[in-house]
Formats: sequence, C-alpha cells, structure tokens
Amino acid sequence: MTDDRTYEEKLAEFEARIERGEKIEPGDWMPDEYRRQLIRMISQHAHSEVVGMLPEGAWIPHAPSLRRKMILIAKVQDEGGHGQYLYHAAESLGVDREELIEALLAGKAKYSNVFNYPTLTWADIGMIGWLVDGAAIKNQTMLAHSSYGPYSRAMVRICAEETFHYKQGKEMITLYAKGTPEQRQMAQDALNRWWWPALMMFGPPDSQSIHTETLMRWKIKIKTNDQLRQEFINEIVPEFLALGLEIPDPDLHYDEETGNWVIGEIDWDEFWRVIRGNGPMNRDRLAARREAHEKGKWVREALEAYAQRQAQAA
Amino acid sequence: MSRDTQWPRYEVFKQDRPDKPHAAVGTVHAPDPEVALLNARDVFVRRPSCYSLWVAPESAVFKMTAYELETQPNWWVEELPEEAPEETYHIFNKQTQRRSMVAVTHVGEVTARSPREALRKAIESGQFVEKVAYMWWVVPESAIARSSEEDVLSMFEPAKDKTYRDQSYYTGGVFARRSQRRPEDIPLS
Amino acid sequence: MNKKLQQALMDRLVAMADDEVILGHRDSEWTGHAPILEEDIAIANLAQDEIGHAIIWYELAEPFTGNDADSMAYFRDARQFRNVQMVELPNHDWAFTMLRHYLYDAYELALLTRLVESKFEALAKAAEKVRNEEVYHFRHTSDWVERLGLGTEESNTRMQRALDHLWPYALQLFRPMPLDDTLIEADYFPELGELRSAWEQVVIPHLEKSDLKVPDAEPIYAHRHHHTEHLVDLLADMQMVARSLPDAVW
Repeated sequence: MTDDRTYEEKLAEFEARIERGEKIEPGDWMPDEYRRQLIRMISQHAHSEVVGMLPEGAWIPHAPSLRRKMILIAKVQDEGGHGQYLYHAAESLGVDREELIEALLAGKAKYSNVFNYPTLTWADIGMIGWLVDGAAIKNQTMLAHSSYGPYSRAMVRICAEETFHYKQGKEMITLYAKGTPEQRQMAQDALNRWWWPALMMFGPPDSQSIHTETLMRWKIKIKTNDQLRQEFINEIVPEFLALGLEIPDPDLHYDEETGNWVIGEIDWDEFWRVIRGNGPMNRDRLAARREAHEKGKWVREALEAYAQRQAQAA
Repeated sequence: MSRDTQWPRYEVFKQDRPDKPHAAVGTVHAPDPEVALLNARDVFVRRPSCYSLWVAPESAVFKMTAYELETQPNWWVEELPEEAPEETYHIFNKQTQRRSMVAVTHVGEVTARSPREALRKAIESGQFVEKVAYMWWVVPESAIARSSEEDVLSMFEPAKDKTYRDQSYYTGGVFARRSQRRPEDIPLS
Repeated sequence: MNKKLQQALMDRLVAMADDEVILGHRDSEWTGHAPILEEDIAIANLAQDEIGHAIIWYELAEPFTGNDADSMAYFRDARQFRNVQMVELPNHDWAFTMLRHYLYDAYELALLTRLVESKFEALAKAAEKVRNEEVYHFRHTSDWVERLGLGTEESNTRMQRALDHLWPYALQLFRPMPLDDTLIEADYFPELGELRSAWEQVVIPHLEKSDLKVPDAEPIYAHRHHHTEHLVDLLADMQMVARSLPDAVW
C-alpha cells in the first residue's frame, strides 16, 4: 500500500503537476516545506481577516445612515466569512482551528500590519474599503491561481465578494471628496494616514523577502511583492488625483519610460516595528480578540454539552 | 484550564438551483447538525442563490484523490463483517482543473456496505466520470442533515433582497437624503 | 383615511420601526466579538435584517411623518423614540442577547402573521416579506434558547438570570398605544391581548422545555415614550457622525 518512489522522484512528479497547472489536493503527496509555507501563509491570512473586523467594526455603531450601517455590517460580516473560509483551507492541511486561534491569541501568529492602525473618523471606513481592500484584492486575485486547491477555491470565493468592499469604499470617498469642505478634509486626512500602511501590505521588498522564491517555484504565489505593489500604485494613483486628493508622498512622480508611478522610500523600519508588535493598536487588537474568545468560552462549552447529551439520548 | 473547543466540522454541500447538483463549498464548525445547517446558511448563503443545503460531519466523509488511488493499489481492501448492512452513499467528484469555488460535485448514489466499497463500485461502474476524476468524496446518506423545500422562503430567498452586498449595486450614483427636515416635532402620541 | 386613523397608523409604524432599528443596532455591536466565528456571521445577519425591516416600516410611515428613514433614525432624540425598553438595554452577555432576541422574534412573528391579513394593504404586503426572514430568526433563536437552557449549569444559570430580568420588559410589547383601538376597528392592526396569549402559548412551553422558569412578574410600567438612560447612550453612538454635519450626504 505504500508509495516506494524516492523523495526526488516524488518531488519531480509534484513539480511537474504544478507545472501542468494541476491543483494539489489534501491527501496528495507534497513536500513538508510546501505544507509548512501554506499553513504559515493561510493562517496569517485568516487571522488578518478576523482581526480586520475590529478597526471597521468600531464604526458600525456610528455609521451615518441606515444604508451605510447595513453595508458596513455586511462588509465586516464578509471579513468574518473570509476568515472562516481561510481557516477551512488551513484545516485541510491537518491543523485545527483551536490551535490556530490559540497561536493568534498568544501573540505567536502574524496578521496583516495594516489592522494595527486606528480608525479615527468615518472617512477611514471609505478609505479602508477603497485603498486597503483594493490592495488586498491585488493579492487575492493572484492567490486565486494558487497551486493548492483549497486555498485557490477559498480565494475565488473571497474575490467574488471582495469587489463589493472596494466599490462601497470608492463610492464613499468619491462622494466625500466632492462633498462639504469638512468631508473633503476627512477624506484627505484618511488618505494621509492610510496610504503608507496600505503600500506596506504587499510585504517587504523582494530583496528582503525570504519566502518569495520558494512560494513562486511552487506557484503558491505567482507574482512578487514589488510587482504587485507597483501594479496597484499605477492603478490607484490616477484615481485619487482625479478626485483632487493629494498623495502624501513628495517624491511621487510619473516615469514616462517605464509607465510607472514611482514612489518615495517606504519606511521599512516602521513596518518591522509594527510586525514586532509595536504598532499603534497591536496590543488593543489582541486584547479585544482574547476578550471575545474568553467571554465566548462558556457558550461554546454549553453547546458542546448539549450536543453530547442529545447524542447519548439518541 | 480545559482545552478550547471550536466545535466539530461539517462539510457543506450547496445546491444553487433545483436543476443543479449539490457541490462542496466548504465547512462550518457546529455542535450538532441543526446548528450546522443554520451556520451553513449564514456562512454560505449571504448572497443568492441557493435552493438546498446538505451538511454532514467532516469525519463521516470518505475522501480519496486520484494520486492516492494510484499510489495505494490496495486502497479498497478492508475487512467487512458478512452481515454488514447496505446503505446509500452519495458520490461526489472533481473532474476539472478549472478555477472554481467548489471542491467536488454530486454525481450520483450507490448502495454499498462501506464507503470504500461504495467508491470501488462507483469507479468500476464507469458511469460517474467523463474523462478523469481528480478527487472523490463518499458521503453516507445517514450522515446528511438537509434543508427542506419549505425552508427555501425563510433561509435562502431573503439573500436576493440584500442587493447592497453585490458589487453591481455600486454604480457611482450619489445618494441624497430625500428630506432635509429635522423631525423634531412629529406629533407622535 | 381620517386624521385619527392616520395618526394611529403613524404611531404604530414608527413604534415598529424604532423597535427594529434599536434592536438591530444592539445586534450589530456584537460584530467581531461573538463567541465563535460562525455566530459572528449569523448575528450580523440578524442585525442587517432588523435594520432592513426598520427602513421598510419608516418608509411606510413616511407619508404621515413627512420624513425619510434616516431623518427618523438620526434626527430624533430619545424622548421621541417609541421603541420598547427591552431592545435598548445593553447586550450584557450572549445569554441575554439570545433570549431577548427570542422573546422579540416570537412577538414579531406572531404580529406579522396577523399583519399579513391587515386591511391596510401596503402593510400586509410588507409584512409578508418581512415574515420570511423572521421565520428564520425565530428558528435560530429558539435553537439557541434550548441549547443554552439545557447546556451546562453555567449556561442555564445565565439564561435564568436573563429571563428573570427580561420578562417584565418583554410584557411591555403588549401594552396598547393610545390610539390602538382605532387601528383595531379598521382591521389594520391586531388586538394586543390576543397577540399576547398567542405569544405566551409559544414562548412559555419552549422556555420550560429548555429548563427555564418563567417568573411571576408584573410588566414594567412604561409607555413607549418612556425610556432608560441606555437609549441616550445608544443614540449618542448612533447619531454622532450624522449630526456632526447635518446637511452632508453620506
């Protein structure tokens, strides 16, 4: 019943399958490193969705119209759903949600830095939708082509839903940029604060990204951090400028030759500082997750006890 | 401190329309089948459309990939008691490498005494595959909890009215408050 | 429609809308903080549904109030709201939240089942639609009441505490508004005494089956224009952005 080919033979067949565009499914042979990288990436991604519910969720009570309130609840609900799909993809690799959540709450797991920044005005909600989700979509669209079946399927589902997040944000910022002077100022202020954190979402520059080569070889990713970042900048800069908003980067310029919008230096010290846990909201975000987890414990246990009793009675 | 529980997992199979097969869309965590069914609705039917949901404990679903079938030539060997009862098994498989949000799709049923036997019969019959199957799932009928036709109105239809969850709702229009009056003096009794 | 009937209808529609918008707001406060991811997603559905229902009722009342849904929700003060106190109470814990929702869902479902027969056609039509969602809410919260009631000692204790606290508030749902008789006479709205007994016939056996004791308590003494301080806090949260720039479009 055993597969007696050598590791090299299995690896060659595995890489040939990926080359042919086949999906790797749970149960298929895969190198340990492939599994390890996937668990790392997918769980980080899942945690990001769940922690990402907090900065926007904070403004649900303050949404300025009933329509905006329903939209924002639906959006934050989707983030929860996306976390749910992604935990599922990670679970297919043999880890369980209990241990993933435990790692997050113990501060041992990473999640996207951008959610460690605070939401300070209502316009931040529009800016997160347009700018932050816009950046996320670039990444997610790529990951929908990932070689691992469950990850790819989760991403296809997420991408189908995420466009709504982006569009509702763009609708808001467009409206506020043309709205009252106070609204316009709120929109500009939001752009000032979210611009750089959003660009950092694509991860460290390729020269410092330790995982990129492996991830690309096995088609977990199909583009590099810098490639995606540049594509995103090229798409979004003209849109902000068209609304008369200013990009908070004195060095930003258009390069005729390459057709790229070239940005100034990203503050990578800040990036690493926030990753190490010293962003403006890191402690607060984890504290909020821990509190919900602890307050929910008796609820989870009660339903488990009920189910066990029903099963025994049957 | 006792270990945390996130509840067991249930596989969720969603049927978009009566004329389409059920397909595996993902899992939900739930303590029991009834809650699993409701959770499946809340997680997977936030948007249209859905006609029927099935849920089955993940542990009850027998899964084999083409790779496993090939590299484990004796995969179907097992010791079954003589009198093991027969039951109905639902067969699902995946026959395409196209990008998709579903893992496997319902292709039919067989009667067998175990999931392995069900899968062997399904494969040998040749009637569930056009060219190639990359992955097979076998689900015993007895493990499935399902929504009923009466549930369609309350569980699935309302998603159609939640148009604001669909990107096509955002057309770039501007939304004005229709009245600018402050309702300070509405004479409510 | 005569003036008195118009007034009576406006009062009731605004009361229905206010109940829903305040309950929906409370539900939405759980988003991101629920006991498990699946429930986070589920309660966000309840929140959206309730707010959606509020819009339906406010819009039905618009010809009488002269105001759209947002003006009604965002530019009235606590004393002008007509919701029952039960929905404005803070969420407390999951037991309190689920039980309150259950008591409310059972009421709303019983009400809607009668409103689909209302002689005020627009109301009957809207009730038909809202009822579909409410059937699901009721199933969801009934399941939860049973599971938490019969779960562990802790969950049962929490549920009993919630029930003791909420029961007198729940009974406020059946206190008539001043002009209800006019509505009942016109077959626009059901009689609340009959509604209460229908509600009790559903709710009491289910609570008992869930190992919970229904307290022998009088209803709180409050009209729908009486509120707790909690509504003031809730509205401050809800209205702050809208009121900061009252002429802006959001």
